[in-house]
Amino acid sequence: MKETVAGLRLPAGVPPKTPLGCCRVPPPYGPAQQTAAGRCAAAAALASAGSGVRHVPREADGRPRFPPGFAGSISHTERLAAAVVVPGAAGVGIDIEDADISPRVAAFVLSEEERQTLLPPAGEYTPRELFASKEAAFKALNGSGALGAFPFWRLRLAPCGERLTASYRGESVAVWVSPPTGLSFAVAIRR
Amino acid sequence: MPEGIAAVRQRIRELLAELFGGNRRFEGVPDTMSLREAGVSSTGLVSLLVAMEETFGFEWEDDVEPEVLRSIDSLAGHVVALRG
Repeated sequence: MKETVAGLRLPAGVPPKTPLGCCRVPPPYGPAQQTAAGRCAAAAALASAGSGVRHVPREADGRPRFPPGFAGSISHTERLAAAVVVPGAAGVGIDIEDADISPRVAAFVLSEEERQTLLPPAGEYTPRELFASKEAAFKALNGSGALGAFPFWRLRLAPCGERLTASYRGESVAVWVSPPTGLSFAVAIRR
Repeated sequence: MPEGIAAVRQRIRELLAELFGGNRRFEGVPDTMSLREAGVSSTGLVSLLVAMEETFGFEWEDDVEPEVLRSIDSLAGHVVALRG
């Protein structure tokens, strides 16, 4: 697996040469610095993917607009930004999470079936991994806004071998998530 | 007597400060500004929604429109509307 800044690694199952960019958020770690670090990470991922265009402007609704043919996604915490680009993909979504997910928040974003099948003892995922997976899948599925406006937690997750599948209104996307060490890092790719 | 929208907005600001460890970052955020643009993470937003359920005594419907979740003003408007 490729190792990058801050030890962030692509989750197992994602093609190891998938372009990944990371940039640290500089002090004072506010929204402006986080956004700038996200664009820095996107530029790095686009360069790794061979794109001549490295600038990622924002759509009116805030979504990043990657160059045609270079589907990508950006995520950040207060201290680290990451971006992944998958040339030729229909949609890409990522999420990095370092926050603790309380039982109340887990109950809010996960359905009863998801909690029973994916969390221990039946499942092997943590609430934070599932939170990140839904956020990443939402970005991959709704990158164009074609599915309309809906909260990301309405996606439904189901196990699919070593990965997850996220679904909403008949559309689905594959999701891989890193093991529970350090950050939870979820990558969703729609072919 | 039901709280007015100004009081609900203020309580939401207090919840934000509590959730972010007393951080005063959100004191100057305009009522209508997108919370995401103001720097509220997705985990922070969901934590706020959960805290609002406990504070204002209601449960979010599964089909809530995302626009309702956009800003302090839209959140407060939803609470006031629920109270009729």
